[in-house]
Amino acid sequence: MKARHLVWIRRISQTLFLGLFLVLLVESRLPEDVYLEYSLYFSGDADIRLDQPVTFFFDLDPLVWLTSLLSGHGLVHGFGWALGVLVLTLLLGRAFCGFICPFGTIHHAVSWFRPPLKGRAMVQANQKTPAQRIKYLLLIAILVSAVMGLNLAGLLDPISFLFRSLALAVVPALGVGIKGIFDVMAASDIKLLNYLSYGGEVLVSPVFGYGYPAYKTAWFIGLVFLTIVFLNRIRPRFWCRVLCPLGALLGICSRFSILRLEKDHEKCTNCKLCSKTCLGAASPAPGQDWENAECVLCFNCFHACPEGALSFRFRWSPKMNRRPDMGRRAVLTGLAAGVSLPLLTGLDSQAHHVSDPRLIRPPGALPEKDFLRLCQRCGLCMKVCPTNAINPTLGEAGWAGFWTPHLIMTQGYCEYTCTLCGSVCPTGAIAEISAREKIDRPIRIGAAYVDRGRCLPWSGNGPCIVCQEVCPTSPKAVYLNKEAVPAKDKATWLVDVPRVDLKRCVGCGICETKCPVRGKPAISVIAAGESRSIENQILLPDLAP
Amino acid sequence: MNWNDPITRRQSLKRLARIWAGLTGVAAVGGYPFLPPARAKAEAGDGKLIVEGVAANKDYETRELIAKVFEAAGGMGRFVSKGDVVAIKPNVSWARSPELAATTNPEVLEAVIELCLDAGAKKIRIADHTIHDARRCFALTGVGQVAKKTGADLVFPRPSLMKEMRLHGQRLDVWPVFVPLVEADKVLNVPVAKDHGLSTLTLGMKNWIGAVGGRRSALHQDIHQTIVDLAQFFKPTLTLIDATRIMTKNGPSGGSPADVAVKNTVILSNDQVAADAKACGLFGYGPEEIGFVRLGQKWGLGTYDPQRVTQKKVVL
Repeated sequence: MKARHLVWIRRISQTLFLGLFLVLLVESRLPEDVYLEYSLYFSGDADIRLDQPVTFFFDLDPLVWLTSLLSGHGLVHGFGWALGVLVLTLLLGRAFCGFICPFGTIHHAVSWFRPPLKGRAMVQANQKTPAQRIKYLLLIAILVSAVMGLNLAGLLDPISFLFRSLALAVVPALGVGIKGIFDVMAASDIKLLNYLSYGGEVLVSPVFGYGYPAYKTAWFIGLVFLTIVFLNRIRPRFWCRVLCPLGALLGICSRFSILRLEKDHEKCTNCKLCSKTCLGAASPAPGQDWENAECVLCFNCFHACPEGALSFRFRWSPKMNRRPDMGRRAVLTGLAAGVSLPLLTGLDSQAHHVSDPRLIRPPGALPEKDFLRLCQRCGLCMKVCPTNAINPTLGEAGWAGFWTPHLIMTQGYCEYTCTLCGSVCPTGAIAEISAREKIDRPIRIGAAYVDRGRCLPWSGNGPCIVCQEVCPTSPKAVYLNKEAVPAKDKATWLVDVPRVDLKRCVGCGICETKCPVRGKPAISVIAAGESRSIENQILLPDLAP
Repeated sequence: MNWNDPITRRQSLKRLARIWAGLTGVAAVGGYPFLPPARAKAEAGDGKLIVEGVAANKDYETRELIAKVFEAAGGMGRFVSKGDVVAIKPNVSWARSPELAATTNPEVLEAVIELCLDAGAKKIRIADHTIHDARRCFALTGVGQVAKKTGADLVFPRPSLMKEMRLHGQRLDVWPVFVPLVEADKVLNVPVAKDHGLSTLTLGMKNWIGAVGGRRSALHQDIHQTIVDLAQFFKPTLTLIDATRIMTKNGPSGGSPADVAVKNTVILSNDQVAADAKACGLFGYGPEEIGFVRLGQKWGLGTYDPQRVTQKKVVL
C-alpha cells in the first residue's frame, strides 16, 4: 500500500473515532424526547435507559479492564473490546494510539496545526529522550497500586481524562457562556430576541445540557486539560510520548507486533525528514534502531521519505521486536510509587471508618472500598445525572477518592425513580439497579435532618412545608406535626413543624434542594444511614417484616 | 449635521445622549406595553356554568366522558375559536406513572386536546414548570406521549421562557412567569385533584404555582393568598379538574397506589372557584374549609354559591 493512502486512512479513522467519541459524549444525557407509551407503563415504575452505547470507548480501553481486574478482581462488562485492542496491538503495535484514541487525535491535530518547532530544531526535538520513560513509570505505579487495592488509572487514563475534561469542564464552560447571551436576549423587550433566545436554547440544549449543568472543581479539571493540550507546543503529541500510561501498556504489548518498519540504508540520503515528522520520537531514521514501543503508527516517516527508504511490512519472524526502553530507574521508581501510594492513602483510612458527612455516593454505589477499587473518575455518572447533583469530590473521599462522584444536594437531588447513573457506569462501581429495587429495598444514600434554628416554622418565622411536600416516599419520610412553638410577640404559635422519619428517609435530598433557606438549608442530608455501608448505620436493623 | 466631519469623543457622547433621551421620550409617550395584551375575559357573571361528569360504568372510555361533559357545556366551540392558540396547563409536577394520581391523567389530556383541535385550534401548547426534572416528568406521566400523538407542542420550562411580569396581586407584585401560559389566545387549566400538606388540597387554582418560575418554595409562606394572586393573573378560559383518580393522602407527590381513590369524575367550569369548590366535595371538605377557595370568592375571582352558577351533571 502506498504511504499516502495509509496516512489518509489514518486521518479518516482518527476523525471518525473522535467524532464517535464526541457523539457518545453528547448522547450521555437524559434526552428530551423520551416519550414512554403510558399505557405500557401504567403500572410500576419505568426505567429510562440511554439508547446509545455510551461506554464504548471505556470498553475499548485495556487499561480500564486491567486495573479493574487487578484492583476490583472483577471483569468489567464489554471487556471483550479491550481484549480485541490488545490482540490488535500484538499484531500491529500501537495502532490504537495512531488510529483510534480520541485524546491522541486531539494532540495530533494540535501538533499538526501548529508544529512547535521548525527544521533542524524539530529533528532534534523528535529524538528519543529519557523523559519518555515517565509513562512506563506511571503505568507501573498504576498497576502496582491497583494490585494493592488503589485504583488510580482514571486520573491518567486517556479516555477517562478526555471524557472528564470535556464533559465536566469544556462543554459546561461553553454552555454557561452561551447561556449568558441567551439570558440577555430573553430579558430584552424585543419580541424577536425572545424568540431567538428560546430557539437557540432548544437548539443547543442537547449538547450543553438541559439546565446548563456546572460541576464543582471543574475549573481545575479544565486547567489540567488545557495544560496537557498546551504541552504540544513543547513537543508534538507530548502526552502520548511522555505521560500516557495506556500508550505505555500498548507499547509493551507491541513487542510481538508483526508490522515492522523496514529501513533501506542504501537509499537513505540522510535528509532527516522522517525524524522531523515522527510524532512518537521512535527513531525512524536509518542508522537508528526503530523503537516500536514508541511508534504510534502515524506513518508520517513512511509518507515523508522522498527516497522510498522506509516501508512498513508484515514480517513474521521468531525474533521479537526491540524491548521498550523503560530504564531501570523508571521501573524502580514506578514500583516504589506503586507500593507507597496505597500505603499513603491508608493514612486517610479514617475516610473508610468515619465517613465524611458530605460523601454521599450515587444510588447503587458499592461499599466505599470496593467503590474506590473500580471508579475511573470518568465523570459519566456526573454527565448523565439529570439534576446535576453528582459532582466530583475534592477532599470528601480522602486522597484516594479525588474526583470520584458524590452528590451535592444544594445543587441537585437524587430523583426517586431515576437509576441512570448506575446504568452507564463503565466499571460497575455504581451497580445497575432498577427503579423498583431502589424504592423497595430501599437503597438509601444518606439521611436528612432538620436544623431547627434555620427552619422557618421551628424558629417561629412562618409556615412552610416544602420539605414535606417534595418528599417522594410513601408514606412521607418528612412528616408534619402541629405544635406550639415560641414566637415573637406571642407566647406560642400553633404551626406544622417538619420531622424526619429515619426508617423511611432514603436521603434523596430533594428536601435540601427545595428548602427556601438557600446555601445552608434548614434540612440537609448527610451520608449516615447509607445502605451500602454496614458501619455507617444510624438505626438498629429492623427485623420485623 | 454633517456626518462626514470627524467629531471629538465628547461630541459623540453628547450626540448619543441626545438620541437616547429622544428615544426614551418616545417610549414614554407611546406608553411602552409592559403587560401582555389583556385576554378577553372569561364570560362574566351570568354565563357561569359547571359540569360534573361521572362514569358510573367502570369500563368507560375517558374520551367519551370528556366529550359528553363538553357537550353539556355547549361544546368546545363555545370556548375555543377557529385559529386559536391554546395553552394547556396540566399538573405533571412529579415523575410518576399516571396510576399514582400525582399527575393529570394523560387520557383526559389527550381527549381535551382532540376536542380543541376539532374546534379548529391552530396550535396547542402543553406547558408546565415541573418540580422533578421536566424530561423525566414528561416521559413518565405520559404527557410527552400525548403531545407526540396529538401533535401538540410540549414546552419545556426553559430559563428563556421565564419572564418577570407584574401580577397585581395582594401578596405578589413582580414575579417570573412561564410565558407560554400567558401568550396564548385561550388557556385551559387541566389539573389533577389531590391532597396537599399545607393547602389541604391541590386543585385548579393551586395548579398556577406550576406556571411561574423564581423561588417558588417561598410561596408556601402565604400559600392561599399567593394561589389566589396567581389565579387572578392567569384567568383560565376553562378549568377541567381531572378526578378520574384522586390522591387522598401523602400528597402532593404520593407514590403508592394505596394513596389513590378512583372517582371516575371530571369537573368542568369557566369559574375556577366554582370548579375547585365542587372538587372539595370529593375529599369530603366544604369549600369554605379550603383557604384558597374561600379567598378566591372573597377577592371576586369566582363563586362557590350554587345559585350563581348553572349546575349540570353528566352520568355515563
